[in-house]
Amino acid sequence: MIIDIHFIGLIITSIMASAVPLILASCGELITERSGVLNLGVEGMMIIGAISGFAFMTVTGSLFIAVIGAMLAGVLISTIFAFLTQTLITNHVATGLALTIFGIGISAMIGKNFVGIPGKEFPVLFESLKDTIPFLSPILFGHSIVFYFAFALPFFTNYFLKKTKIGLIVRAVGDSPESASNQGINVKLVRYSCILYGGAMCGLAGAYLSMIYTPQWIENMTGGRGWIALALVVFSTWNPIKILIGAMIFGGLTIIQFHMQAMGVRVPVQFLTALPYIVTIIVLVVISRDSRKIRLSTPSSLGKSFYKDN
Amino acid sequence: MSTNLKISNVTKIYPGCVANDNVSLEFNSGKIYALLGENGAGKSTLVKILSGVIIPDEGKIYLNENNLKLISPLDAKKNDIGMVFQHFNLFETLSVFENLIIDSDEQRKSLREKIDSIMKKYNFLIDLDIPVLNLSAGQKQKVEIIRCLIRNPKVLIMDEPTSVLTEQETSELFLSLKKFSEEGILIIYITHKLKEVMQLCDEVAVMRRGKLVSVSQIKNENIESLANKMVGQNLKTIKKRKAKTSSDQLINITNLNFISEDPFETNLNNINFSVNRGECLGIAGISGNGQSELFQVLSGEILSDKNSIEYNKNYIGDLNPQERREYLMAFSPEDRLEQAAIPQMAIFENVALNNFKSSNFFNNGLINENKIKEHSKKIISDFNVNTDNIELKSQFLSGGNLQKLIIGRELITAPDLLICFNPTWGLDVGAINYIHETLIKINEQNKSIILISTDTDELLKLSDKISVIHKGKLSNIMNADEVTSEKLGILMGGGN
Repeated sequence: MIIDIHFIGLIITSIMASAVPLILASCGELITERSGVLNLGVEGMMIIGAISGFAFMTVTGSLFIAVIGAMLAGVLISTIFAFLTQTLITNHVATGLALTIFGIGISAMIGKNFVGIPGKEFPVLFESLKDTIPFLSPILFGHSIVFYFAFALPFFTNYFLKKTKIGLIVRAVGDSPESASNQGINVKLVRYSCILYGGAMCGLAGAYLSMIYTPQWIENMTGGRGWIALALVVFSTWNPIKILIGAMIFGGLTIIQFHMQAMGVRVPVQFLTALPYIVTIIVLVVISRDSRKIRLSTPSSLGKSFYKDN
Repeated sequence: MSTNLKISNVTKIYPGCVANDNVSLEFNSGKIYALLGENGAGKSTLVKILSGVIIPDEGKIYLNENNLKLISPLDAKKNDIGMVFQHFNLFETLSVFENLIIDSDEQRKSLREKIDSIMKKYNFLIDLDIPVLNLSAGQKQKVEIIRCLIRNPKVLIMDEPTSVLTEQETSELFLSLKKFSEEGILIIYITHKLKEVMQLCDEVAVMRRGKLVSVSQIKNENIESLANKMVGQNLKTIKKRKAKTSSDQLINITNLNFISEDPFETNLNNINFSVNRGECLGIAGISGNGQSELFQVLSGEILSDKNSIEYNKNYIGDLNPQERREYLMAFSPEDRLEQAAIPQMAIFENVALNNFKSSNFFNNGLINENKIKEHSKKIISDFNVNTDNIELKSQFLSGGNLQKLIIGRELITAPDLLICFNPTWGLDVGAINYIHETLIKINEQNKSIILISTDTDELLKLSDKISVIHKGKLSNIMNADEVTSEKLGILMGGGN
C-alpha cells in the first residue's frame, strides 16, 4: 500500500488540530493547580465556552466578540467555583464535579436554539505561504490564530512559572499557602486569579471546538476532552512541555485509530477507541518517573482549602 | 542607631481563652530579651501580633516612638521587624534562592551578592540552588534568618528556635544571635527552656496564662526562680530514692544487630544489656546515633533474631509490637503525633488503638464504644490530662497533655516494662515534672523502664544504670551514681 506524502501531512495537521483544545484547557488548569486549587470543572467550563462562543457568533456575527465572549463565560463560571471554594471554603472536588454537571446541563438548555445552525468560517493565517515549502508548509501555515496560540502556550506557561516573579508566587502559594500568607502574599487573590485564568483558557478551548474544529453546536460536544485535559495535567506532573507531548500523543492516537478503523484493521473497535487513553497515560507515566522530580513539581497544597483566622 | 520597641496594653481574646491580657513591655537594642512561658502562656500570640500575623483586639505597638499599624506581615517587614517562626515559613519545593527572592524587590544578581555576603559574615554554608526540602532543620532555620537579615531588620524575633535543633546547631545559633545583638539588632527570644534563657539572654519577661508576670535582669535570677515564676507555684524538686538492688532479670538483650538498607538510618552493632525488675536503664546519646533504630527494635517495629531478646524467660525478638504488648511490654515513641497517636482521631479512638485481647474493646469485630470511653475517662483522670472531652481530636491536645495521655494509655494495663524515647521532648516544666514523677513511681512498683533520651539531666535524675549509644554501639553499662554529665558528654562524643 502506498501512502502518499500529502496524506501524511494531512494526518499530522489533523492531529495537531485535535490537540489544540487539550493543550489550552490543560495549560489553564495547570496554572490553577499550581496555585493549589483542584478544579475538576474543566469539562463543564469547556462546554460553557463552546456554547457561549457559538451563541455569541450567531447572535452578533462577530468572531472576535464570540471568542472573547467564550473566554468571559469561562471566567464567569469559574468565578462561581472560586467564590465557593475560596470564599465559602467548600470542598474542591465536590464543587468541581458540580461545576461540570452544571455546565453540561446549562449548555444543553441554552444550546436548544442553536442546534442545526451552520457555523461561520474562521479566518486562517499565513494562507499564502502554504505552497512555499513542500510537505512542511501545509502543516505549519494556514491555521487559525487560536491554533498558533495553543502551541505557543506551553512554552509561555513554562517561562511564566519558572522565570517570572508572579510565577514564583503562584508556585509558592501552591506549595504552602500558610507560609505564603505569613510572608504577606494575598493567597486568596492569587488563587482567585489562577482559577479565573484557568476558566478563560477552558472557555477558549470550548470555543475552538464549536467555532473552528467542528463549526456547529452539538449537545455534549466536548465529549470528555475536559477529563483528558485534567489527566494530562496530573500525568505530566504539572509540566507544560510534557502536556504538549501528551496532548499530541492523545490527539495522534485518536486520529490514527479512526483511520485504522476505516482501513478495516482487524482489531476490536473497543480496543482501538481505548488505545489513546491507555497509551497517553503509559507514556506520561514513563517520562515522569523520577519520584524526586514529582515531589518537587507537585503542588503540596493541591485541593486543600486555606483560610486565615485572625 | 538604637532601637526602642514598646508594646502597650495589648489584649487578644479568642473564644474561651484570653491569649494576651493587657500586656505591656519595652525593649531596647543591644540586649537579648527572653520571653518565657509555658506552652499556651501567650508568648506566640504576642510575637505574632508584633509580626502582623495576628491583629490584637486592643493595644498599641511603638517602634522608636512611632505608633505602628500592623495589620499584615507586610507591615512588620516594612517596619524592619523580622521574625523566625517556630514552624518554618518556607516553601519546601522551591529552591533556597527562590524562597529568598519571593518577598524581595531586588534584582536576582544583587540579591545573590547580598546573600553571599551575609553567609560569609556569619559563617553560614547553604547551597542556594537546591530545594529547601533537602535541607536539615538547622539549615532551614538559617534560611529563615537570612530572609530576615536581607532586610536589615531593627528587631529580630525568634519563636522557640531550638525545638528542632541539635545541640551543636543550638550553640551555633547562640553565637549568631550574640553577634546580631552586638551589631545593634534588638533580639526577642521566645522559649520555655530555662537553661537557654540563662545562657543567652540579658533580660527576661515571664508570661503565664496570657498575663505578664514579671520582667527582670537575668543576673538576678536562677533556673529555680524562673521555673517558679513560669509555673506560678513552687515546683517540688523531684528526687529518686535509691532503688533496692534486685537481681531478678526482666529483659536480656544479647548480640542484637540491625543492618539498615536506608542510608539515613544507623546500623546497630552487637548490642548487649539487661534490665532487672524495678530498675531504670538510661540510654544517652546525641540524636541520630541509633536511638530511634534501637527503640524500634525493642518495640518490635523492626523485627530481629528471635533469640536476641529474652523477656521474662521468653524469646520475643520476632514478635510484632502488638504481640509484645500481650507480654506486658509498653512503648512510648519519640514522635507523639506521628508514631504514638493519630492526630485526626479522637482521644478515645487513640486509646482503642492500644488494643489488648483482655481489654474487650472489640466484640465480634464491632467497636465497644462504651467500654473504650470508660477506659479513656479513667486514663484522663488518673494521669491528669487537662481536658474532659474524650471526643477531642488528639491533635488539639498540647504536647504535655498528649504525652500524659500516651503514657497513661501505656501504663493503665500495668506493664512490667515501659520503653520510652525522649518522653519529655519539647514539654514545659510542669509537664516534665509530672512525667518524671510518673516514671519514678513505676520503678517504685518494681516495674522496669528503658529510657532512651537525649537529655542528660533527665537521665541522671531517673536512671539506676546508664549506657551511652554512639554510632550504633552501646558503651559499658555504668551505675548512675558513678556517672557525671561530663563523663556522659565524653562518651556521647565517641571518647573513652
